[in-house]
Amino acid sequence: MISDYFHSDWAAMTATDWWGLFVTIAIFFLMIGLYAWIFKPSSKDKLEQHCDFVLKEDSQNWEKHHGKS
Amino acid sequence: MSTNTLEEPKYNFEVVKWFTITSVIYLVVGTLVGTFIASQLAYPDLNFDNPYLSFGRLRPLHTNAVIFAFGGSVLMATAYYIVQRTCNVRVWSDKLAWFTFAGWNTVIVLAVITLPLGLTSGKEYAELEWPIDILIAVVWLAFMFNFIMTLAIRKSSHIYVANWFFLGMMVMITYLHVGNSMAIPVSLMKSYSAYSGVQDAMVQWWYGHNAVGYFLTAGFLGIMYYFVPKQAEAPIFSYRLSVLHFWALMFGYAWLGAHHLHYTALPDWTGSLGAAVSIAMIIPSWGGAINGMMTLSGAWHKLRDDYILRFLIVSLAFYAMSTFEGPVMSLKTVNALSHYTDWTIGHVHSGALGWVAMVSIGAIYHMVTRLWGVQLYSTALVSLHFWMSTIGAVIYICAMWVSGIMQGLMWRATDDYGNLMYTFVESVDAMHPYYALRALGGLIFFLGGVIMLYNVVMTIRQPAGSGVTATSKA
Repeated sequence: MISDYFHSDWAAMTATDWWGLFVTIAIFFLMIGLYAWIFKPSSKDKLEQHCDFVLKEDSQNWEKHHGKS
Repeated sequence: MSTNTLEEPKYNFEVVKWFTITSVIYLVVGTLVGTFIASQLAYPDLNFDNPYLSFGRLRPLHTNAVIFAFGGSVLMATAYYIVQRTCNVRVWSDKLAWFTFAGWNTVIVLAVITLPLGLTSGKEYAELEWPIDILIAVVWLAFMFNFIMTLAIRKSSHIYVANWFFLGMMVMITYLHVGNSMAIPVSLMKSYSAYSGVQDAMVQWWYGHNAVGYFLTAGFLGIMYYFVPKQAEAPIFSYRLSVLHFWALMFGYAWLGAHHLHYTALPDWTGSLGAAVSIAMIIPSWGGAINGMMTLSGAWHKLRDDYILRFLIVSLAFYAMSTFEGPVMSLKTVNALSHYTDWTIGHVHSGALGWVAMVSIGAIYHMVTRLWGVQLYSTALVSLHFWMSTIGAVIYICAMWVSGIMQGLMWRATDDYGNLMYTFVESVDAMHPYYALRALGGLIFFLGGVIMLYNVVMTIRQPAGSGVTATSKA
């Protein structure tokens, strides 16, 4: 029975088990969120503008309008 | 090849130069010890009945030399180089940078002294005793703090993805090193792990596999994401993929260690979870490898005469191969055959020689010309080194594949009555040709490292701005 396979003794869960379960589920949803954000069409230009980042680092005007100083 | 010098006063490249030089020396020393102990396995007389030269003591010296001396020096050289270049700012503290150089090399010297003396905690890839562990933690934290502060004072708004990989490595290695090294000292050079039984095994392999995942993969992916587009003079294929690669790798790798403990006292579900996530990790790993290779899209012709680029791209092929092989080996049915055999050694070396060493070598050749502002002494020697590295690694890996699978089959073979068909000694005897072949592959790889050391020394002895009559592009 598939239900036997997924059976869990919830009463036996320790605080560490609950914390592990929470972290697992939280990371799962964070990864889904990450995939959604990465592949959202509006993110394309925002992220891909950095694809030639290392090729511009010697330029005098490198990030002229964005730098901190 | 470009010979533009980057010796701008705004950057501290002196510490990068020293880490670069020591990394090449440690490559030679580490692979020399590796070749020697591989020869000991094929020809046990080479142990010379000398405890200080015995396989058991030199093996951890080899792993520490190649992982932490060579790999660590490469990571520190490239991290300091990349963070300054991509942040357009000098490293936050010169003193801390030199402290990391002095401290890291002190750790290496202490390893060279203590390991042959048999002073070891007995934890794989974390053999050094507790006072040295504390020194490692202090030096590593200084390295990380200096890196973070350099990011904090950057003049660019964006933090390039290579720096994310380096930072992820630094955070996770701190966590892993401290967690795994928790021990109760009983004397200056003896301690006992704070963990016991199966918990000790789980912590050991949580550390052991993540040393592979975060030290030998994440850090070297930082190297890849900087040097591949830089050497190819082409934009990275997909920046979105690199971001996905980073987060998937960071969240994924931490789960894998349990796949080292199938069929042990560890709860069965833990190993299954480790294996399942191992399979899932093929996706980000191959995504990253394809991202690096496809950076050459439209510029494949550069591989014809750019040997540095060949090192970088072939390393990605090995990365893709070993990150497919690893998950397959983590499956319980495959693991039942492969575990405790030489197949594991072959897998490790396809990652270590093919991926880590070759991407490092490509990065070092790239940096040497720019740091010293000279052309390479001989691009023909770079080409020779490339072929020796590739052929040496392939011989090593193939020998271990055959040896490992043969071992696994011999150990499990039973006759009609259920008796084992072979004694253990018979399986050892059958391994001899493959052990000799493995030593040959290692020797070829080592000699390539000697050629590299010669080429690098001759290169940096040239006056800045000069170049030997160029032979070909590199």
